[in-house]
Amino acid sequence: MNSIIITRAGTHSTIQDFGRFQYQHLGVSPSGAMDQRIIIELQKIIPNHQNQFIEFAYVGPSIKVKEGSVKICVGGNCNMSIQKNNNSQLECQPYKSINLFEGDELIIHNTIDSVYGYIAFEHGLGLKPCLNSYSTDTKAGIGSINRPLNNEDTFHISKDVSSWDLISIPKPNLEKVTNFKVYPGPQLQYFSDITLQSFISSVFTITNQSDRMGIRLKGESLISSKSHDILSEGILPGSIQVPSDGQPIVLMRDIPCTGGYPKIAILNEVDISRISQLSPETKITFDLQTIY
Amino acid sequence: MYFKGINSYGDRGLVLDFGNETSKSISQEVNDVFLSISNLNLQSLNIVPSFNKIVVIFENSHIRDQNKDKINIKINETKSQSNKKASKTWKIPACYDEDFALDIKIIQKLHKVSKEEIINLHSSVNYYTYYIGFMPGFPYLGDVPSQLITPRLATPRVKIPARSIGIAKNHTCIYPKVSPGGWNIIGQIPFDIFDLQSSYPSLFLPGDEVKFYSVSLSEFQKIKKHNFSLNKLIKEYSS
Repeated sequence: MNSIIITRAGTHSTIQDFGRFQYQHLGVSPSGAMDQRIIIELQKIIPNHQNQFIEFAYVGPSIKVKEGSVKICVGGNCNMSIQKNNNSQLECQPYKSINLFEGDELIIHNTIDSVYGYIAFEHGLGLKPCLNSYSTDTKAGIGSINRPLNNEDTFHISKDVSSWDLISIPKPNLEKVTNFKVYPGPQLQYFSDITLQSFISSVFTITNQSDRMGIRLKGESLISSKSHDILSEGILPGSIQVPSDGQPIVLMRDIPCTGGYPKIAILNEVDISRISQLSPETKITFDLQTIY
Repeated sequence: MYFKGINSYGDRGLVLDFGNETSKSISQEVNDVFLSISNLNLQSLNIVPSFNKIVVIFENSHIRDQNKDKINIKINETKSQSNKKASKTWKIPACYDEDFALDIKIIQKLHKVSKEEIINLHSSVNYYTYYIGFMPGFPYLGDVPSQLITPRLATPRVKIPARSIGIAKNHTCIYPKVSPGGWNIIGQIPFDIFDLQSSYPSLFLPGDEVKFYSVSLSEFQKIKKHNFSLNKLIKEYSS
């Protein structure tokens, strides 16, 4: 038996996978990794990840091997190191597999010029799925672990490491994007041409009131010519909704399943991952694709 | 028929449009279509009905476009042969004891009715489950009798007890678990309506009929002690 213990949980560490689907009509949000590009990359290094990834934001977790050994890989842009059992420190890099032995501690200090990072574990973390997914929705209290990770959380990985070979891939080019091409939202007609013009010509700033549910933007006020109160309807991640204060919110992975604000536009899937990595105060712009 | 057409929602979603009005008959059509396209085994990630829309979500635009025609054909079939009675009828015990009826006085005052009248009125109607949303397993039921129609609380409550029955505007609901919320709380039911251990986690589904019946506090406690599983609840309280 191999086991690991969380020695420092970090600020927003949760278990995530590619999402929980087929339950949104019962009020269950899709959740899933904020930046899906990274867990797709990690699959290449740890193919047998069992869909049990740890997601962290800003300050990463520290993880110590309590028993046995494990093979892991970190994805994202982050500072990290390994405190070996014999007190020596080892440098390590994302997108390169790491073998950790009893007493070794992986310390992820922080993400660099980005928000989210991920850890993949060979053979997973010994978790049971909840509604066919390992993802955590902390607000709804749903998940294999239905809360953020805590210090002292311990995971048992029954299978042993398959091979000590070190595997790495070139650091993926996840370039920072601040201009987003968006498609018209279902309530585009709720906004006048002048308002739409200011939506695409002005700059919006990401605020610190942003989390897995949504990214709140600050900028030119987008006041609807009709109403900011629509009858609730199903929504997709990436939708840009505008409440009555005119400040848009980009809905992210832990979306409310239905929403009652008009949606001016929607991002494409990969841009949800891209925008998730932009930290507060980043300035962004939108381009509206006219026909889709 | 209310169905107006299918619109795109970004690069990977569709909105099935049933107009801008709300009524039980619109919702019946929405939920009929929801059931029939759910049975199509589309390659969709989620199908989300609401009062007068159904949003269908796909992984990408390619799969979306492949499935659009199938949905269109199915809707036209559904129009001619409404699939009645896949839905359940529930009789749900409700305790309107003052310990649970946190906001019943607001309704008494607004409509100048007695507590007994509110209980009688609330438990007199076969409610329709418009859809499930807001939080896992939360049913939007309606319509409440006109003497009970009450706006949301001006200041939402930070913590509504699990299983509370609420009224807001012309709808009534049950909170599956502890939550913040703005509905006027008038009672509580003695069991959970959402169970994560089940692969069919929600007791209620869109289209179900729900009728409450008033139980005393002691009867409420008795039912609560049973800790019924979802399957047992279906046997005991639905037909």
